[in-house]
Amino acid sequence: MSAITARSLHKSYGTIPAVDGIDLDVRSGHIFGFLGPNGAGKSTTIKMLTTLIPPTSGTIEVLGINAIKQPLEIRKRIGVVLQQPSYEPNLSVEKSLEKYGMMWDIDRKTRKERTEELIGVFDLNEIRKRKNEDLSIGQRRRVQVAREFMHEMDLLFLDEPTVGLDPTARRKLLDYLKNKVKTGLTIFYTTHVLTEAEYLCDKIAVINKGKILAVDSPNNLKNTFGQEKTITIHLSERHDRLSELLSGIADCVIDFTTGTNITIQSSKSEVVLSQILQILIENNISVEDLSAIPTTLEDIFLKMVKDSNAPHN
Amino acid sequence: MHPTIRLIVRNLTISINPGFLVWQVIFPVIYIFVAGFAYTALIKSVPFGNITLDYPAFIASGMIGFNIMNSTLVSGIIIWNDRRHGMFEQILVGPFTRTNYILSNVYTIGIVGIISAALITAIGFPLFFTSVQFNALTIPFLIFASITGSILFGSIASIISTRLRSSEGFNVIINTVFLFFAFVSTAFYPASGAPQPLATAFYLNPLTYLVDIIRAGIFGTFTEFVMIEMIVLVSVAVTLFIVAIRLLTKLDL
Repeated sequence: MSAITARSLHKSYGTIPAVDGIDLDVRSGHIFGFLGPNGAGKSTTIKMLTTLIPPTSGTIEVLGINAIKQPLEIRKRIGVVLQQPSYEPNLSVEKSLEKYGMMWDIDRKTRKERTEELIGVFDLNEIRKRKNEDLSIGQRRRVQVAREFMHEMDLLFLDEPTVGLDPTARRKLLDYLKNKVKTGLTIFYTTHVLTEAEYLCDKIAVINKGKILAVDSPNNLKNTFGQEKTITIHLSERHDRLSELLSGIADCVIDFTTGTNITIQSSKSEVVLSQILQILIENNISVEDLSAIPTTLEDIFLKMVKDSNAPHN
Repeated sequence: MHPTIRLIVRNLTISINPGFLVWQVIFPVIYIFVAGFAYTALIKSVPFGNITLDYPAFIASGMIGFNIMNSTLVSGIIIWNDRRHGMFEQILVGPFTRTNYILSNVYTIGIVGIISAALITAIGFPLFFTSVQFNALTIPFLIFASITGSILFGSIASIISTRLRSSEGFNVIINTVFLFFAFVSTAFYPASGAPQPLATAFYLNPLTYLVDIIRAGIFGTFTEFVMIEMIVLVSVAVTLFIVAIRLLTKLDL
């Protein structure tokens, strides 16, 4: 079953398109990653999906409900952590959680139980009595994310929730989200941290300039777009003729700019590597170290964005 | 619980803090008991309609309107804070409509306004009780003034809060506007006897109408002029309320 279905979604501000005809299908019980550089259209898409702003054109169904006709029905069943901070400056952490639960019409007993639970899960015990205005950015972000779990929901939108979190808090949050998904929750997740998306998401969409560039699982994205590997050869000393010696090797990009390092990028890296090593041995050039770096989601993401930013696009 | 009521509870929770209570109680008390008695040496009595009041009674009744005006700053502060700290968007992605949000602010203003009026009436009562002329219209007049005044000044504060983002801008504008309202009015001194341009300026200020109506209710001086003031106050309040609602409805996200 689909938690989100969007078709030909457009949003323009004046003549500038922020989101340019995207289609989305997010399955229930999955974590859907939404990646893109700054200004790609991620937050605008989230604002449309959460009914905060209407699309210029296109259709959106969230949890089977038409977002344009029945926005309130959707909002009753979703949770949203927006990119920008949101907090009541003069409330304590504890009271923030409690009052947020009240705003969602959660009964007093449940509010109290959940407040205690979330204070534990999100390591807020030490700051539970502190006012929001006195917290650090990371602490405030933790409270903002924790607060959203005060109420029940079928679908959770998280717009860069780990910004400002330290690695421990970040991993703890990701694991908490993974466990929540096991209980049936669907998550729509945007981030700049590609390792996070790889760790967490079942499916990933890459967006740039308001258009979706690719949608697939992290592994499939790597298989489809990540054939190219990066091999680094570290030489004992600098050789001026190196570029001339290796100039005949096809199907690769060689970077000599680092002096004693040669960085090779190729989709036929094994073949290219053996050719290079042969040339190096024939010319008595000794190799100090050799390493192969597997393609990461970050490499793929950067390549996709770079390609889509190229002039012909 | 209805969504609007949940938001009212939330509004009251975030607004009522020690600072606000000091602002709401200590300031008027100082005006009533310090300025009221200190200025008696200079101002023996003040003519009001067809009666004469002593100055403490005059200022204590003026402070009711003054406090209603001050308390409605709450609405502007709530809206401004919500925008500045991201809660406006957060509320609107929750189980609420814009109408819920706007109504919750209107009701919050009304509640705070009535409580403020009641509080200062209770505090000032010993000073003006000898002049009080209770009749069938006294309480309705006070409630009318509290609600209309709250909506009027609450709308002004809301309009300012929707137009400004920076804290410096908001504080400067709101303090300037409300300072003008407070001191270019009949809350502290009567219009009669003031230089003509100043007396005219008093009647360009809605607080003057508000305190005149409150005094008419307390001291039983219902004149034709007070009726006209009521009509003016309602008209201005309705106009500003419509403007405030329109601006809030169109507020960018």
